[in-house]
Amino acid sequence: MSSVYLVLPVVLPIVGGALMPILHLPDKKRNLLLEILVLLTSAIALLCVYRRPEAGFTLFHLTGNLDFALRLDGLGSVFTCLIAILWPLSTLYAFEYMRHEERTTSFFAFYTMTYGVTMGIAMAENLVTMYLFYELLTLVSVYLVMHPMTKKAIRASRTYLYYSIGGAAFAFISLIFVIVFGDTTDFILGGVLNMEKIGNNVSTMLFVYLLSFWGFGVKAAVFPFQGWLPKASVAPTPVTALLHAVAVVKSGAFALMRLTYYCFGPDFIRGTWVHFAVMSIAMLSIIYGSTMAVKETHFKRRLAFSTISNLSYIVLALTMMSPLGLLAGISHLVFHAVMKIGSFFSAGAILHQSKKEYVDELDGLAKKMPFVFTVFTLCGLSLIGIPLFAGFVSKWNIAAAAMEVGEQYPYAYMAVMVLLYSALMTAVYILTVAIRAWFPDRGKELHSNEKITDPNWEMKLPLGLFAITVLVFGVCSEPLMQVFRAVVQGTF
Amino acid sequence: MTAMYLFLAAMLLPMLSGLFLLFFQGKLKNRTLKCILIFLVMALTAGLTVRLMCFEDYQLVLWHLTDKLDILVRMDNMTRLFAGMTVTAWTLGGVFAFEYMKHEEKEDRYFGFYLIVMGVLIGLDHAGNLITLYLFFELMTLSSLPLVLHTLTHDAVMAGLKYLFYSVAGAFLALFGIFYLYAHGAGLPFCEGGYLMVLDAYSGSGKMTLLVLMLMIVGFGTKAGMFPLHGWLPTAHPVAPAPASAVLSGIITKSGVLAIIRVVFYTVGADVLRGSWVQYTWMTLALITVFMGSMMAYKEQVLKKRLAYSTVSQVSYILFGLSVLNQDGMVGALSHFVFHSVVKDCLFLVAGVIIYKTGKKTVKELTGIGKEMPITMWCFTLVSITLVGIPPTSGFISKWYLAEGSLQTGIGGYAWFGPVVLLLSAMLTAGYLLPISIQSFFPGEGYHYQELRKKEPNLLMLIPMLLFTAAAVVFGMFPGRFLGFLQMTAADVIR
Amino acid sequence: MNLARNFVENFPCFSIVLCMVAGILSTPIKGNHAKRITLLVVILVTCMSAATFLYVVSTGTSFVYTMGKYPAPWGNEIRAGVLETMLATVFSLVMLFSLLGGMDHVFKDIPEEKINLYFILVDLLLSSLLAIIYTNDLFTGYVFVEINTIAACGMIMIRKIGRSLVAATRYMVMSLIGSGLFLIGLAMLYDITGHLLMENAHLVMNQLVQEGKYSVPLLVIISFITVGLAIKSGLYPFHSWMPDAYGYSTVSSSSILSSLVSKSYIILLIKIFYRVIGFDNIVNSKIVDVLFVFGLAGMVMGSVGAIMAKDIYRMIAFSSVAQIGYVYMGIGLETEAGMVAAIFHILTHAITKSLLFLAAKGLNNVSGRKRVFYALQGSAFRNPLAGVAFLVGSLSMVGIPMLSGFISKLLFATAALGAAREKVLITLIVLAVSTILNAIYFLHTVVRIYTPVHVPEEFKNVHVRVSKGAALAVFSLICMNFILGLLSQPITDLIQVGIAMFA
Repeated sequence: MSSVYLVLPVVLPIVGGALMPILHLPDKKRNLLLEILVLLTSAIALLCVYRRPEAGFTLFHLTGNLDFALRLDGLGSVFTCLIAILWPLSTLYAFEYMRHEERTTSFFAFYTMTYGVTMGIAMAENLVTMYLFYELLTLVSVYLVMHPMTKKAIRASRTYLYYSIGGAAFAFISLIFVIVFGDTTDFILGGVLNMEKIGNNVSTMLFVYLLSFWGFGVKAAVFPFQGWLPKASVAPTPVTALLHAVAVVKSGAFALMRLTYYCFGPDFIRGTWVHFAVMSIAMLSIIYGSTMAVKETHFKRRLAFSTISNLSYIVLALTMMSPLGLLAGISHLVFHAVMKIGSFFSAGAILHQSKKEYVDELDGLAKKMPFVFTVFTLCGLSLIGIPLFAGFVSKWNIAAAAMEVGEQYPYAYMAVMVLLYSALMTAVYILTVAIRAWFPDRGKELHSNEKITDPNWEMKLPLGLFAITVLVFGVCSEPLMQVFRAVVQGTF
Repeated sequence: MTAMYLFLAAMLLPMLSGLFLLFFQGKLKNRTLKCILIFLVMALTAGLTVRLMCFEDYQLVLWHLTDKLDILVRMDNMTRLFAGMTVTAWTLGGVFAFEYMKHEEKEDRYFGFYLIVMGVLIGLDHAGNLITLYLFFELMTLSSLPLVLHTLTHDAVMAGLKYLFYSVAGAFLALFGIFYLYAHGAGLPFCEGGYLMVLDAYSGSGKMTLLVLMLMIVGFGTKAGMFPLHGWLPTAHPVAPAPASAVLSGIITKSGVLAIIRVVFYTVGADVLRGSWVQYTWMTLALITVFMGSMMAYKEQVLKKRLAYSTVSQVSYILFGLSVLNQDGMVGALSHFVFHSVVKDCLFLVAGVIIYKTGKKTVKELTGIGKEMPITMWCFTLVSITLVGIPPTSGFISKWYLAEGSLQTGIGGYAWFGPVVLLLSAMLTAGYLLPISIQSFFPGEGYHYQELRKKEPNLLMLIPMLLFTAAAVVFGMFPGRFLGFLQMTAADVIR
Repeated sequence: MNLARNFVENFPCFSIVLCMVAGILSTPIKGNHAKRITLLVVILVTCMSAATFLYVVSTGTSFVYTMGKYPAPWGNEIRAGVLETMLATVFSLVMLFSLLGGMDHVFKDIPEEKINLYFILVDLLLSSLLAIIYTNDLFTGYVFVEINTIAACGMIMIRKIGRSLVAATRYMVMSLIGSGLFLIGLAMLYDITGHLLMENAHLVMNQLVQEGKYSVPLLVIISFITVGLAIKSGLYPFHSWMPDAYGYSTVSSSSILSSLVSKSYIILLIKIFYRVIGFDNIVNSKIVDVLFVFGLAGMVMGSVGAIMAKDIYRMIAFSSVAQIGYVYMGIGLETEAGMVAAIFHILTHAITKSLLFLAAKGLNNVSGRKRVFYALQGSAFRNPLAGVAFLVGSLSMVGIPMLSGFISKLLFATAALGAAREKVLITLIVLAVSTILNAIYFLHTVVRIYTPVHVPEEFKNVHVRVSKGAALAVFSLICMNFILGLLSQPITDLIQVGIAMFA
């Protein structure tokens, strides 16, 4: 398949989204058109993955040896598939959710443009291209956070903006160093650094890695730059779910994967002080996220903190600097996306149908919305890591990776302890919600007079699919794991 | 093959029936029919389980979870013991509940989860490797939770959450160990006597392995109410409906014991622990729990809570017996497992009868109740004597073996400590159980003989109690074959 | 063809003279006509500079052109190489667009009888800019620096509101201090070397350095010239005149002043560094290290000042302080790559800053001419063109790829890696920090202008008709920004060639 087709999944949504405000269509037609556009893009993207073009496609030659170019390799294919499958479902969900909101056209315009930009990140051939789309992602998604146009939303969007641009500014430093000290800015498994060129500057290089780890890590909400994520939960649920559980934050994790395994190379980092530093950062983020989630009573913010800690599971896996670590990171990237989007969408459905935002208002609500709460409970059990659910499989992988590294560097055993602590906290903050919803205290039958029901099919379909996926992957993950293994070994 | 289908049937029949009941809560109007159907399910499950036990020992892969992790089932003497006990107690508890639940609401939910837990426990008892064990362990916690908080009072819900989080925390401690063992090549199916010593490919370090084992013992010990993670038990068991308390104390706590047995005797092997700090710690923790549980029971006034503390203490007899790592100790432990289950089930059922018929909850109120329900209180008395360990009851046999096992450990002075504590605890047990019996039959002056009315419960409640009592007494008088079975089992796993 | 070749070589001198003549001619004419003359002149100058540029690129060498009849060592010379002609072309383009963009305001802000004076000043300014760019001797340089100052002052002052007068006075004072120091330095230089023509002075300078004579006076000369020009170009901490000067003049003036005038002094400084004193000597004197430090300080403090600014013009003016800091930092890196980056940034900043000022004015207009930020809420919807212009300008300042600011950052950072060891990390970190600071105030304003909430009642339905000239100006500046962002490679190469020719 010719590599020109790689351009389509990136450009189509951006152009299509940008055209929406100009076309002035009535809502129903616009929704239909957008869904078709998104499905078409997903189809082309999946086709590109299936019949992968070997070569890349240079969009534009920037300067010197820097180009904007797209190419699909193993890791990029995984991320592309993930987004391609999740986006149409969440667009469908968003239609129902935003039905009674204002300014929906501009909302969906930016929502769709974000799709194209995220595709750009997934398919970037080199660091410059990824950096371009990374900055663009910030710009297109900031409107979505701002959308409610309340003071809180605007302030949250500014926080998001500053954190992101700040992170990118530090990530920029790594770009420069790779340009100067690397053979190429392309992504090659194992890294592209030229040890001869580096010479005595190894410690500077390591420090630069740390800076850019934090830089790209802002989007992945690593400590201490995670502050923007809970604030951004004020955005409408389709935004928080997709962007802040899938697109934006996973782009951050993805970028860290590229940075660590495809630019600097794990062998360069392993065993150095930076190795321990980034492991510790990941562990701190996990502990912070899980603990704050327990204390938080606002439902969506609780899930936002949960995202922070789960993202750092992925980052923790990465920081093992081993192929098993990358494997675990990829598996949790995929599984967590599904689990978290299921959880957020459940929360969104609850908010949409009953206007209840705080966990202590949810007692006994499961009776009225059994479908939604079943999905939530299933996704929640997966997040905790109960066997037979997808979350257990990825947690097992992370622990296995840590155990392997632990033989050489016992510090990694701490990682497993942190993982289990977080699992316990997850049990607390998820199960208290689920149990109180299904088994309310006597006398706390609030809501008995209120008319609250399960949402309609546009919301139920994605919810159901996510719950089923979580179970299927929990029980039968082997085929997918084989694909991931091939990616890690470079044979996919 | 047939074994696999039988097993799946035995496990899934109650689970699916339970789910069915949950979905169609309140739809089945004919209560008698419903109870008969539930009874049939339980009996059928019991029958299937017993049929399974007649097979030769086997080991089967049920499902490949991932390329390295399999869901495995096995049949050996330990399985027979635990599974047999589970289905028997469960069925009897279920029969009792038919009558008891008239007193509570939402019995469909109760029976639904009751049946699901039955299925999960069958899976647990048949687990063939650590990961299968862990899977069913977590499922058991989750599915038994609704039984604890069934009454939905604020206290019940809080107790339920406490139960949940302690259990999950304990399970995660054990999970650390499972991660470690699997990562270092020790993720094999269970094998009598353990395989760690003979495993070439085991890459874990000695010190780390010991630490990990300690974590696993403490972690799984949470379910068994071992100090220091016992705090949930006295809160959770009393607040559940009585038949649920019975099976919680009688069977579910023993699943923690089973897990420890599988880890110590079927995965790593007793020799790994023998003489190490882990063994000492384990013994100490068990003894502390034995003593502490008895003390707390002695002071406690609420009957069900007293029985819960008693469970804390008694289950640690079992753990102590295991911790001495010799055959006599194990025989003592396993026999105490059976006897305590039988006894504690009966005691809780009695407590349930008392609440059901009179609403009385504290010990003080029980003066003269023996006059009102003599059969019930006779059952109570007989099993209490068993528990104290007075010959010729079964309790005496298990205590004897435990003492023997303790003295044989060969770790010097500590060996004497065990029997001393056991003796003290026996005295305390007498102290917290026998006075109740005495008071109930000989109420003394303040009692109003005129208002005496017979409040004996009906057959549905009486029969289970009588069966338990009979078992307690009979096993004591004719222990031969049973002990022979246990000795054979112990010899298989400990050299 | 010989004749054609030589004819083109006349263009630089011709441009300068043309501007001055136009200025003189405009004296008796009314404002409208003066405007037309000026515009015509600027367009002609642009074309001529472009032609010269192409010519010089094709021949590959620079040429020297003697003006007037005085021979060495006093005479007037100009020299046109790749760099000079490129700068001349870009500067005249920017001036053209600044004028077009701010034309409406020229007629609104300035009293009618004075409009032609304004255009005269513009003509003079253009001539002096060109002269400074092209000059090859110190005397011409100094003379036109003074003309530059006066014209600039006039352009501020001509808007006769109280604040403008104060701003202009301040500007005048600071500028003259700078000029004074510059003059003293020049005088000493002439004294020591006995030459005013750059090449000749350079030869003598080299000799003196080799012999080791006059080392202290040399240091003094370098310092005075540097500080003098630094003050005039607004290097931190000599920047205090900038915010007012840019804030209170008419928009064309602010645009031209911030984009072009301050840069011309930097260009002169670079020229003197290379052609008169010799870059190695400069390095040895450690003056570049001082420039480096002040440049870094400017990058941070300028942005801090912008964050604290209460109205949009002050914010943009402080941003200029920061950007000039970037340029000096680039010079301070002491490498060729650093110089290329600095010059590229001069081009970038010229284009972007005028764009920002035009945009700010446009937003201001639909906000009741109030400058404070709350008035600008949602103004991008009332004046879409200004909104887009501000957006593009801000994104370029922050360094989003595909825009010129990103290339500047890329060049600075890559240059930093080749610089002296101690300078590498601090440069990169300050670069990152200043990006963050830039993001804070620029993007805050972008968010503000695009969020139509809490819009003050009075402005809700205000719309404005944008004149064709302004639209063209804004559009062209945006295009130039993208060109620099996407097609920077040839431009960077040419700058490199130009610097090589410089020496």
